Amino acid sequence: MGTVITLAQGTFGEAVRRKILNIFLIVALAMIGLYFAFTSFSAREDLTITLSTGLGVISLAGVFISVILGINLVPSEIEKRTIYTILSKPVRRHEFLLGKYFGGLLTVFVNIALMGMVFIVLVWVKTKSTDNAVWEGVVLIFFQMMLLSSVAILFSVFVSPFVNFFLTFSVYLLGSMSSVTESLATQNSHKNPITTAFFAVIHFIIPNFGNFNIQNPIIHPDIQVQNMGAYMAQTIIYGILYSAIMLLTAIVIFEKREV
Amino acid sequence: MAQDESSPSTGAQAGVVVSSDGYLGAISSTASTDSSSGSGDVAIEIRNLVKRYRNVITREWVNAVNDISLDVQQGEIFGFLGPNGAGKTTTIKALLGLIFPDSGKISVLGQEPGNNAVKAKISYLPESPYFYEHMSAKDIIVFYASLFGLDARERSKRADYLIDLVGLTSAGNKPLRAFSKGMLQRVGIAQSLINDPKILFFDEPTSGLDPIAHRDIRDLILHLRTEGRTLFLSSHQLSDVELVCDRVSILYRGKIRKIGRVDELVIGGNVEILAVDLKTTPALTKEITALGATVEVSGPETLIVGGSDNDGKNALIDLVRRNGGQLVSVTPTRRTLEDIFIETVREGEVEAGEATRFAEASTAEALEIK
Repeated sequence: MGTVITLAQGTFGEAVRRKILNIFLIVALAMIGLYFAFTSFSAREDLTITLSTGLGVISLAGVFISVILGINLVPSEIEKRTIYTILSKPVRRHEFLLGKYFGGLLTVFVNIALMGMVFIVLVWVKTKSTDNAVWEGVVLIFFQMMLLSSVAILFSVFVSPFVNFFLTFSVYLLGSMSSVTESLATQNSHKNPITTAFFAVIHFIIPNFGNFNIQNPIIHPDIQVQNMGAYMAQTIIYGILYSAIMLLTAIVIFEKREV
Repeated sequence: MAQDESSPSTGAQAGVVVSSDGYLGAISSTASTDSSSGSGDVAIEIRNLVKRYRNVITREWVNAVNDISLDVQQGEIFGFLGPNGAGKTTTIKALLGLIFPDSGKISVLGQEPGNNAVKAKISYLPESPYFYEHMSAKDIIVFYASLFGLDARERSKRADYLIDLVGLTSAGNKPLRAFSKGMLQRVGIAQSLINDPKILFFDEPTSGLDPIAHRDIRDLILHLRTEGRTLFLSSHQLSDVELVCDRVSILYRGKIRKIGRVDELVIGGNVEILAVDLKTTPALTKEITALGATVEVSGPETLIVGGSDNDGKNALIDLVRRNGGQLVSVTPTRRTLEDIFIETVREGEVEAGEATRFAEASTAEALEIK
């Protein structure tokens, strides 16, 4: 465990200094700030559009940060040859991979927490009230990014960062349209069993990223969650379990990989 | 006598500084038992190692390492030589467990490479190492030390000591992004000594360094030799290799073309026979050249160079005696490791039907002679 923590700290230190990630963070913060600066809050219903804008910006920046970070965590170590000095020490390959993942995840957490805090504070400043939906949305975005990072690191152990970028984004887009793939897999209008089976497999394999956007009223205008606590717990557990499966698969592949 | 770890060598700014007793005692007492170098125990054993790669364009399989076998004894400094692409780094990676052989057997300190028990006793310095740039030299040594499970106090002490050892005391707290290549190489050496290793794998440790840094690193390697550590050294700096290595092997296209003790390899097959009062008639000169030797007369002295085998040497000496010559000296000619290296690679290229590089060299030599 100590080895994983050491590697995670090293990874975090390196990742938070990456300029491209900082640019995404700054742009996102600027967008949130500008939105509040030029919007007047007169009525309660304004929170719907505010929530959608804020969570949308945080989610978008989070996706770019997670993907760009995740696809490079392992390849950059190989390219720069730091992996050789690390793996020639008493470090097991799974410890290395977990250290890289958790270091990256810590970076994602810090970025989302920063954006989330700014958003929550600005909502409070403008409306002089708090709404649970704001922080619940931010928390779910973090766990969504945790899942996305695990997908990125899984692909990073066997494809190049360039291919991985498109692969991870595709998985994210497909996973965000889970209700679409589900209906394509189940609706009776589909006569072709191969097509139905294909969408069934896609729906089963691709993680459901859409569930994490529940607090965004523009993405899910019709959904009213009765017990938000239970929904969040279930979604977070889903994210953790799915991430664990991704990481275990990555570890199995990485154990056999030559570096 | 062990040096006190709390008072490491100081004044190390000009170069690599090592204590007269070696730093081993300052870090641990375990290695001193192994520092009775050349104990005869095998540190590294490679048997029929084969590693193949697929050419991404032609899709053909290429043997990067082609059936090599060698032993390195504990306490030995072993030079692993070869032109670029000969299979040196591939072999080192296989020894570290970073890649997996297609066939053959590798043993490091009697165990399979790659397990943590072995990795705790070895270290690796890759060519042109890169480290996390946001860290300082001390941070990075502490970082690597924590991978060995050392506690915080021990990590800090060891980092201070090693930074001092490699001559980075004044730069120890500066971020690595401000370091020159030579300074980074020193950091690389420091990280390779954290665990008081029994075997060190150095891949081009002096590559791209200025002469002062080069000399410092070479001095450190010489010092490691006195400590009885095993060093597996891959380098293109053949003069350094000749100076520090006990044995060398020369690889070409994944095969070991030559292996042996440096002192035996550099001794040429010929002898220089210096004689006086030798009656160098045309008939005698003809006889000498018929034996494949050359004659040079300078006043009363005659220098004969030749006799690649014992019979040839004896025949030349007999000729000198029979013709009234007085032997002044018979000296084996000495070649450099560079001569051996070029000769070996040239042989390999000729065998492979690709004598391009040396054909050019021959042309250049011919032009120079003209």
